[in-house]
Amino acid sequence: MRVFFEQLVNGVTVGSFYALVALGYSMVYGVMKLINFAHGDLFTLGSYLGYTFLVWGAAWITERAGLWWGVLGAILFAFLANAGAGILVERVAYRPVYRAGRLPLVVSALGMSIFLQNAIMAVWGPRFQVYPSDLVPVASLRFLGLSLPLLKVVILFLSLGVMFVMYWIVEKTEFGAAVRATALDREMATLLGIDVQRVILFVFTLGPALGGMAGVMNGMYYRSIQFSMGWNYGLKAFTATILGGIGNIPGAMVGGVLLGVIETLLAGYIPGGGAWKDGFTFLILILVLIFRPTGILGEKVAEKV
Amino acid sequence: MKSRRLVAFLFLSAVFFWGQVFAEEPIRIGLQAPITGSFAIEGQMARQCVEVAAELINEQGGILGRPVEIIVADDASNPRDSALAAQKLVSQGVVAAIASYGSSVTEPAADLYERNRVVCVAYGATAVRLTMGKERRYFFRTCGRDDSQGEFFARFAVETMGWRRIAIMHDNQTYGKGVAEETKKYLEPYIREGRAEIVYYDAITPGDQDYSAALTKLRESNPDVWYYTAYYPEAGLLVRQAREMGITVPFVGSNAVPNEDFVRIAGLEYVVGTFMTQEPLPQDLNTPKAQEFFAAYRAKYGDIPSSPWPIYAADALFALAQAIENAKSTKPDDIAQAMRTMENAEGITGPIVFTERGDRKGVPYAMYRYNEKGQLELFTP
Amino acid sequence: MGVVFSRPRTGRFWRFVPVLLGGFIAVFPFLPFVNDYWVDVGFFVGLYGLLGLSLNVVLGEVGLFDLGHAAFYAIGAYTTAILNTTLNIPVLLLLPVSALVASGFAYLVMSPVIHLRGDYLCIVTIGIGEIVRIIIVNNPWGITNGPNGITGVGFPTLGPFVIQTPMQFYYFVWVVVAFVAFMLLRLQKSRIGRAWNAIREDEIAAEAMGIDVRAYKLLAFTLGAALAGLAGNIYAAKMAVVSPQSFLFMESALLFCIVLLGGLGSLPGVLLGAALVVIFPEVFRRFASFRLLFFGLALMVAMIFRPGGLLPRRREILELDGLDVQGFSAEKVSPGRIGQVSLKEHSPIQVPCELDPCPLLEVQGVTLRFGGLVAVNRYNLAVYPGRVTSLIGPNGAGKTTLFNIITGIYRPDEGRVLFKGEDITGLKPHLVVARGIARTFQNIRLFPSLTCLENVLTGLHCRGSSGFVSTVLRMPFQVQEEREFVETAAYWLYRVGLWEYRNELARNLPYGRQKYLEIARALTTGPELLVLDEPSSGLNERETEELMEFLQRLLQEGITILLIEHDMNVVMGISDWVSVMDMGSKIAEGSPWEVYNHPRVIEAYLGKEEEWVGSTS
Repeated sequence: MRVFFEQLVNGVTVGSFYALVALGYSMVYGVMKLINFAHGDLFTLGSYLGYTFLVWGAAWITERAGLWWGVLGAILFAFLANAGAGILVERVAYRPVYRAGRLPLVVSALGMSIFLQNAIMAVWGPRFQVYPSDLVPVASLRFLGLSLPLLKVVILFLSLGVMFVMYWIVEKTEFGAAVRATALDREMATLLGIDVQRVILFVFTLGPALGGMAGVMNGMYYRSIQFSMGWNYGLKAFTATILGGIGNIPGAMVGGVLLGVIETLLAGYIPGGGAWKDGFTFLILILVLIFRPTGILGEKVAEKV
Repeated sequence: MKSRRLVAFLFLSAVFFWGQVFAEEPIRIGLQAPITGSFAIEGQMARQCVEVAAELINEQGGILGRPVEIIVADDASNPRDSALAAQKLVSQGVVAAIASYGSSVTEPAADLYERNRVVCVAYGATAVRLTMGKERRYFFRTCGRDDSQGEFFARFAVETMGWRRIAIMHDNQTYGKGVAEETKKYLEPYIREGRAEIVYYDAITPGDQDYSAALTKLRESNPDVWYYTAYYPEAGLLVRQAREMGITVPFVGSNAVPNEDFVRIAGLEYVVGTFMTQEPLPQDLNTPKAQEFFAAYRAKYGDIPSSPWPIYAADALFALAQAIENAKSTKPDDIAQAMRTMENAEGITGPIVFTERGDRKGVPYAMYRYNEKGQLELFTP
Repeated sequence: MGVVFSRPRTGRFWRFVPVLLGGFIAVFPFLPFVNDYWVDVGFFVGLYGLLGLSLNVVLGEVGLFDLGHAAFYAIGAYTTAILNTTLNIPVLLLLPVSALVASGFAYLVMSPVIHLRGDYLCIVTIGIGEIVRIIIVNNPWGITNGPNGITGVGFPTLGPFVIQTPMQFYYFVWVVVAFVAFMLLRLQKSRIGRAWNAIREDEIAAEAMGIDVRAYKLLAFTLGAALAGLAGNIYAAKMAVVSPQSFLFMESALLFCIVLLGGLGSLPGVLLGAALVVIFPEVFRRFASFRLLFFGLALMVAMIFRPGGLLPRRREILELDGLDVQGFSAEKVSPGRIGQVSLKEHSPIQVPCELDPCPLLEVQGVTLRFGGLVAVNRYNLAVYPGRVTSLIGPNGAGKTTLFNIITGIYRPDEGRVLFKGEDITGLKPHLVVARGIARTFQNIRLFPSLTCLENVLTGLHCRGSSGFVSTVLRMPFQVQEEREFVETAAYWLYRVGLWEYRNELARNLPYGRQKYLEIARALTTGPELLVLDEPSSGLNERETEELMEFLQRLLQEGITILLIEHDMNVVMGISDWVSVMDMGSKIAEGSPWEVYNHPRVIEAYLGKEEEWVGSTS
């Protein structure tokens, strides 16, 4: 039983990373109906930016203010820089292609993903980079007989916090209503006087920024980063978003955590399960979609005939 | 006016003389490697190593008095690209090819080189099948084979260390699974005698970062030793996460694990005390070739290569150079014959001798251990 | 769904292009600079062309979001490898076997999920692709040999003739591509191809025009998988080794790019896309580690400047000179004459008619709830043949919902719908059409990227029966059927005054004409009952008059009409019977004048008022 609980915690941890990446992903996806294959690579970019910040700038901050300020600096830096990157990506790869429909956008996104990945490799090299251990917090908490790294707890609460903030913005504010309106019917939203450009800007700054933040946290927690790591996370983010229901912010979070838990339990309990883990995860996803075609928390839009 | 003409004359003379020294057409040798794709690190390092080796050879007069020219072809760790890369090299008239990294990627290339009668020397392909499956007259490899390593670990673990409960973890790719399967095979006799049992045999997914699920399962199986047979990035993460989880089981890595990046990723504190099954390291052989090579490499790139396979690629070039010298010919049949019979090839990893089937002869494995300074030392129990 | 930009064919030059291209491909290996390496490149262009064509059926023609196509490719390759190395079955014989196994797998696996929309289907196909690859890697029952793959696959042999050199493989793959392209071309210009394109343009409209959407989607997947299986066999034979590394997600993504780069549904475009995708990285080899960087850039640039593809699909311009449209008469195209209605599922309940004359359509006590909201509340309606019945009511009353129930888009929670005495409650829309009810939509649902003639031709789908085999082999019965179809479609186009627009894309038509196009399309299905949802909305006064005249003429030709209308002139002008709906329930029914002056009706439209100026009651 203790093992089960431990595996559950493992699942929730890895799931909260998926959730964090999925939140940023579903922001863009929900509003633009755009499968942003580049999101995983923006996540990678964030982790590299955080790394660069820590290596070049953090020592200075840490000496003066302490470890956690250095960490905060790295997160903030990645957040802002990624926001900029997100806008750039939108301008260059997506905006000129909107009028053409969804399928060309997918190809453009794939192209941007390949480009970003190789650009990161060109700039930082193909080697694995490692986050400097002395600049990353390593304290642990004891909880119910388990030793939990402080960072793990922080990440989990951060994901929850981000989710609540996003949920509040989207559901409870006027701007959030504009975002939802744009998601449902972009043309109609413009006709109603909603500044759709601003909504798109918001979505493409916040989404990639969240991805970047997730990247830094990932780098700090797992320590090693590499230019091709984002691909996996991007796919998991997409899966989590669909699992939870498209256009649903709590759904993305639920989907992410659930995905982590399912993966972990499969790997932990099926003999030889580690090798089949991804296969079973997809199988479960397909089964869920057969019985609940709009995801676990469901989609809100019905199509008028 | 006069000075300009003088300069021009001197320049042209220099070119002329230089050209005379190497008036002969260069000997083209191809290098097939994953320059792009998921193993880009290995491929790019392989290129660097081979180019440094080529420079060393040329500084010493080239092969048969002719300079050696390396033509690189990217196979992106993809069988289709591998076939095209091999075909391209063949069309460009290479006398031999150093190819490639990854057994399933090397297989189609090897077929192609065989069909076109071009000597092929692999540096990162350890599947037994490559030499023991189809008969290949033109295929060689400077790296070891999965079964030798598996056999060594099995014997060492049970006989020398007395470990009974064995956990084997791999990554479901050709190399990792290959070594794991061979290890399992060589443990069979011990299992039958009741001297060993495999308590854990599973794969992790490369590219993942969180291995807590697998590690928890590993811990619950209560092993005496944990053998990880795949690559260093995941190994580094695994060791770090395991130790942070409080798992103290002795860790043994296969020969793709130990290198500088492994130490960086896992963290020095956790690396200390881990074991590695490894071919004898240059530092222990002290070959003059190794010293020469590392000095040149360090001068150019500031550091030594962080992975064993690119070094085998450089050794492949050294082997080919010696074979061509011995045969006094660049015809593939002569080269192949020379490769098979030569005794005087010196590589970075020691003397290079090939078996009848093209394997590297006498690749002994030894158990190494990381010391407090993060260096590998030969382990004597 | 998606965008297919089409351009009309111009000039005689284009007719020579396929010939020139064919010639180039045929002599390519013999050109001066071409060595074995370039022949191999040519082989891979052909192989990826074949794969592109296979995905095109699913993605290009039907618009299904398939990002896991490599799974079928893998199954074809492994079937060949396993059966050849273990049972020594000759590789060439395994060519059709691989296709069969792959298509069988596709049928089994896609059946439960084919109904999923867009992105959901996307993630499912990605999942299937990964699951297949993971199964292969894990070597179940030892048949796939895990990550090492299977070696020793033999060469295809035709008697004494063995295909093993690069040049032989080159010609082999291109011969297969030629056959496949030929077959796909025939399918494109047929009932099946039109049905596929209609589904891509508007699934709901396609179903409402008599196309069994589910069956055709599955057909597309099955065919696409079969072709990918062929490619797998050829790949296995060429490489002599198959390993899971060749079937990663990136492979599926690459195929996706090939189809999009070339142009959805465009066969030459797909081949061009394949050429680009194979040749680009080869040409850029000198840039080493930047190779893929440029490739990613190239994809983005292509989508920015040519999102419709490099060789977008051109709709077929049918040469119809000599077709004497004026000579057609209504009899010639009446429902009884056009083909044989293929009714596969007859409802077992046949309710005898008690009234005289018998109503053509009877809605009995139909109720439908959406969650807590009652959209239609125990509604009764009888539509008698030869009359115009109008259904009116304020916006949101549930009129369109009732239409959707009648035509099979929704299944009612209570009650039933009888047509000609037969219980058709809950039958799928395409079966309702086959029985003789056709409809138009409130917001026009045409097939925008198809020509007007093609739009109208889809209406004939349910009246035809030529299938896959007869289309590919162009059996005389299929040719005859196509000819009759074109004649009928032409007739109706002429009737609605759109004959001169026959080769124009539907989306280019002005609004008013689009409405007529939709009506013509509905009429082509040969209905006994025509159900029109607000046909006069958006039309001006004169156009409305013309519409009314048109509907009157249809009545005389024996077609019964049921309308939803807001324009009182139309309701009063041509209706024989009016039923009034408000908030899901019937509030009045009778002749137009009775209803017009009915106090409850007035209240529903105008709100409670003490006095109504101009009332005669």
